[in-house]
Amino acid sequence: MFAMNRRQFLQNSAALGLAMTLPACRELSHWGIPIQVYLPGMQEGHRLRDHTPLPKPSETRRVKVAILGSGVAGSFAGWRLQQAGLRDVVLVSGPEPAGNAAAGQFGASAESAYPRGAHYLPLPSLASRHVRELLAAMGVIEADPYSERPRYNETALIHAPQERLWVQVQWQEGLLPHQGIPAAEIAEQQRFMAAIQQLQHAVGADGRKVFAIPLALSSQDPLWRGLDQLSFAQWLAQQGYRAPSLLWYLDYACRDDYGIGLAQTSAWAGLHYFAARGGEAHNAEPGAVLTWPTGLNPILQFMQQPLRQAGGWLPGMAVALQPEDQHVAVDIWQQGKVIRLLAERVICAMPLHVAQRLLDLRTLGYEPAQALPHAAWQVSNFLLKRYPAEPAHTPLSWDNVVYGSPSLGFVNSTHQLIRAAKPAHTVFTAYHAYAGQDPRQVRAHLASANADALYQTAVQDLATVYGFDRPIIAQEHIAAVEITLRGHAMSSPIPGFLSHSGLAALRQHSGQILFAHSDLSGLSVFEEASWWGEQAAQRILG
Amino acid sequence: MREKLLILSVFIVASCGLAYELIAAALASYLMGDSVLQFSSIIGCYLFAMGIGSHLSKYVPEGRTLDRFIEIELLVGLIGGLSATLLFVVFAWAAAPFRSVLYALVFLTGTLVGMEIPLVMRVLNQRKTDFAELVSRVLTFDYMGALAVSLLFPLVLAPHLGLARSALLFGLVNVGIALLTTKIFRHELAHAKLHLLRGGVVALVLLGALLGADKLTKWSEKTLYGDEIIHAQTTPYQRLLITQWKNDTRLYINGNLQFSSRDEYRYHEALVHPVLEKLPQAKSVLVLGGGDGLAVREILKYQNIEHITLVDLDPAMTDLFTHNEKLVGFNQHSLSNPKVKIVNADAAQWIEQNLQVFDAIIIDFPDPSNFALGKLYSVPMYRLVKKHLSENGLMVVQSTSPLHAPRSYWCIDQTLKEVGLYTTPYHAFVPSFGEWGFILASNKPGYTPPTSYRVKTKFLDGETTRQMFFFPPDMQPVKVEANQLNNQSLVHYFEQDWSQVIR
Repeated sequence: MFAMNRRQFLQNSAALGLAMTLPACRELSHWGIPIQVYLPGMQEGHRLRDHTPLPKPSETRRVKVAILGSGVAGSFAGWRLQQAGLRDVVLVSGPEPAGNAAAGQFGASAESAYPRGAHYLPLPSLASRHVRELLAAMGVIEADPYSERPRYNETALIHAPQERLWVQVQWQEGLLPHQGIPAAEIAEQQRFMAAIQQLQHAVGADGRKVFAIPLALSSQDPLWRGLDQLSFAQWLAQQGYRAPSLLWYLDYACRDDYGIGLAQTSAWAGLHYFAARGGEAHNAEPGAVLTWPTGLNPILQFMQQPLRQAGGWLPGMAVALQPEDQHVAVDIWQQGKVIRLLAERVICAMPLHVAQRLLDLRTLGYEPAQALPHAAWQVSNFLLKRYPAEPAHTPLSWDNVVYGSPSLGFVNSTHQLIRAAKPAHTVFTAYHAYAGQDPRQVRAHLASANADALYQTAVQDLATVYGFDRPIIAQEHIAAVEITLRGHAMSSPIPGFLSHSGLAALRQHSGQILFAHSDLSGLSVFEEASWWGEQAAQRILG
Repeated sequence: MREKLLILSVFIVASCGLAYELIAAALASYLMGDSVLQFSSIIGCYLFAMGIGSHLSKYVPEGRTLDRFIEIELLVGLIGGLSATLLFVVFAWAAAPFRSVLYALVFLTGTLVGMEIPLVMRVLNQRKTDFAELVSRVLTFDYMGALAVSLLFPLVLAPHLGLARSALLFGLVNVGIALLTTKIFRHELAHAKLHLLRGGVVALVLLGALLGADKLTKWSEKTLYGDEIIHAQTTPYQRLLITQWKNDTRLYINGNLQFSSRDEYRYHEALVHPVLEKLPQAKSVLVLGGGDGLAVREILKYQNIEHITLVDLDPAMTDLFTHNEKLVGFNQHSLSNPKVKIVNADAAQWIEQNLQVFDAIIIDFPDPSNFALGKLYSVPMYRLVKKHLSENGLMVVQSTSPLHAPRSYWCIDQTLKEVGLYTTPYHAFVPSFGEWGFILASNKPGYTPPTSYRVKTKFLDGETTRQMFFFPPDMQPVKVEANQLNNQSLVHYFEQDWSQVIR
C-alpha cells in the first residue's frame, strides 16, 4: 500500500507539472488522491472584463439568429426555433457548453459520469407548460403531458430511496429533521407545512396564483408582493417560527436553491420555493423529482441535438456585439481566432454580468451597479472505487444531507442505474454554496485557493458520515476528485428582487437583441431559464 | 541458570503478550473493517487491562508468586491461544455478540498478561537481585520481546500461518514456558505435579486446535448451515457455499439457499417447461441469472432450441458449474454444451446494451429483498426485457411465493401488466422453498397451459400442470400497486410479507 502511494505520488507530481501549463486548472496531490480544480469560464470572462485585445475577425458569416450561450435558456430557445422550422440558427457554445447543466466523466465507463452543476428538476407545475412540452418531446413524459398528473418515464423519475438526513450519528429518512426532535418542534414544522399548503392555492386580487413558476405568471397583487420587502428570516420570526430544526431545514433549502441563507433571502422567494411547484405524476409520490446520472445534462443534449445535426452548433464565446442597421455584428472568439456573425436577431443567453461587457445595458434601463448578487458555488465530484459501508435500514440514497452542516450534502450519481449488482465505480457529487459571506470576497479567495483547502470544503459532509477526512479511509475509497468552482453560479433573490427595475426593463426589451437567462427572474432554476428561452424564441417567431 | 530462565521467560511472555494484542486487532479489522478504529481501541483496551493486571498482582501472597506465575502462564496460553479461533467461530455463528466477546477476550488476556511481569519481578526480587539490575534486565527483555514479535507477526506468522494458527502457536509457547519453569523450580513449588498435569492438558488442547484449525473454520460454517461444506469460495461479488448431507447437495449464495439437489428439478421444470412446451418453433432462449446451469439443463431437452444465452454476473459461479465434477452431475454438463453461450455481465446492463431478440426468456433473479434488487422487477426493466422478446415469444419470471409473500407476488404480476404484457401466474410446491410462484408473460393474450409434455419430466405432467395454474382460495390475488421505482412498493411488500412468516 505504501509503495502504491509513493508511485501515485510520483505520477501526480508529473501530472502537476503538466497541469501548470493548463490554464484555470489546478491539480495537486492530497494523500495521493489526484484532485483536479476546474474553473469554467473564469479566464475567458476575465479576459472580457479586462478588455484584452483580440485579433481582427478572420471570416464573416451571415445567419438569421445567433444564440449566445448554450445553457438552459439558450438551448431551449435553440430547440424551440429549430422545432418551429426556422433555419439558419446558430447556437454559440459559450465558454462552458451547457453552463450550469454541464457534466463530466472520469473514465470511459458510464458509471463514472457526473454533473458539474444542476442535478435535478422538480416535476413541472401546470403553469410550466413549456417544460412539460419539452419533456413530452423527449419521452420523459409518456402520457397526458398537460394533465394534473402526467405519466413519466420511470428511468428519470427519482428511484427510492430518494433522500436521507444524518442527524446526530445516524440517518433518518427524508430531509425534514424528525429523529430525536422534540414534539413541540415537530408541531411547528407541521404548522409551517400546513401554511405552505394554503399558499400553494392562494390567489391574488388579479385572479392569478400568488406563487407561480415561471415567476412571470405570479400575481401582481401588491399585498402579496409586499413579502418581497422582508427577509425570509424576518417573516418566519414574525409568524412565530422558532424551532431550530425547521429553521435549519429552511435555511438549507434557501442555500440549495438560491446560494444564500434565510437572512439574505427575500421572504417572497423563500415561500415561492415551497409554494410554487407542486407538480405531480401519475406514477410517483408528491415531491418526486427528475434526475439523470449526469444531472440535467441529458435535457440539454436533447435540446441541442437538432441544432447540432443541422450544423448550427458553433464553439466559441461572444466577445463583442455591434447593432447595425440590418443586422447585429457578433464577434466570436474561438481558440486563437475571431469570426464575425452578421445576425438578423441575437439572443443574449448569458449571465448579465457577462452581457454587460458586450453591450451598454444602461441604455436599456439596466444599471450594472445595482445587479443582484451572484452566489459562488463549489461542486465536488468524488470518483469512488469502493462503496462505504451503510446501515441496512437506511441504505445509500440519491441525496444524502447532514443536519446542521453548512454544506449541502452529496448525491450518488449511479442511483438511477438498474443493475443486478453494485457498479464497480460510482461518483458522489458534493454541493457547497458559499452562503452568508460576501460573494466578492469568496470569489477573490476561490481564485487563488489551493486544492487541499478546497478539498476541506468539499469533503465536510463525507467526513462527518464516512470519515473521508482521514487519509486511510479516503485512500481506501476515493480514486479521484474533481472540484468545479463557479464564482458567479447563480443570481440570488434578496429582498427587493421582485421589483428590480433594471430586470423589468430587460424582460420587456424587444428588438434586434433579446435577452434570455435565469438572471432575468432573479433566481436560477431550470423552469425560469427555459421560460426566458421560450419568450425570446416566441418573439422571433412572432 | 535459574535466573536466566526467568529472564528468558520475560522475553517470551512479552512476545506472546504483544502477539495476542496484534492478532485481536488484526482479526477485528479483518472482520469488521475500519482498521484505524479497531487497532487503537483494542490496543487501548489491552494496555488498560494490563494496568489492572499489574494492580491485581499485589494480591498474590508472597510465598505463592511462582505458583501463580505458572498458573497464569497456562491460562494466558489457553485463552490467548484459542482467542482467534474462538472469535472466528463466534463471528460465523452470530455477528451480534462478536464485539462483546472480542473485548471480553482482549480484556481478560490483557489482565493476565499484566500480572506476569510484576510476578516475575517479585520472584527475582525474592532472590535478592540488585534492584537496579533487576529492573533494567527485566524491562530490556520485555521490550526486546515486543520488537521480536512486532517484526515476526506481520512478516512471517500472519502470512504463512494465518491468525488462528499464529495465536495457537503463541499459546503453546506460553505453555512451554510454564512447563519449563515448573520443571526447573519444582522443589520450590507447592503443586508442581498439578502444574505439569494442567500444562499437559492445555498443550494437548492447543495442539488439537492447531491441527484442526482449518476444520474448525469449516465446522463454524457447518454449524451455520447445518450440513457439511463441500465447497466454499468468496468471489468479488458473493460468497458461494455448497453443503452436503447424505444425498442432499445445497447451494447457498451469501447465506441464502439457491437450490437443494433433492427437489431442484421441481423448481426448474416448473420454471422452464410451461414456456418451452408451448413454443415448438422456438430457436433461441435467454436466461438471466441461473448460473448453476440447472434451468439450461431443462432447456436443452428441447431439440428445437439452437441457441441459449446465459447472462450471469459471476464468472466464478459459471466456472464452478462448468467444471466441478460433482456439480456438473446435477446440471448434466449443460454449461459445456455448444448451444450455450455464457456471458458474464450484469444482466440488467447487458439487456440495456443488447438488441438481440429471443423466442423465450427465463428470468431467475434473486428475490427483491432490497432497493437495488427491487429495480430488477420494475416497469423500465420489464420494458427492456419486452424489447428482447419475439412477437410470439414467452417469458417467465421467478416471483417469490404467492402463499408466503402474496403482496410481493401479485405486485410483480401487476408490474408486468403495466408494460403491456399479458400474464399467466402459476405456482409449484418445492419442499426446500415452500410454495413457490412464477409468472409467465407474453406479447399476445391467450396462453393456455400444456396438457402433456414432449420431453421427459420428473414432476410435471398434465395433472400437476393443471394444479399449478389453479389458485386455491388461500392464494387468491390481492390488490396491490405495480412496483414503481419512485417508491419501490415491491421492496416494502417483500419486507412486510416475510416479516410475518419468519419469527
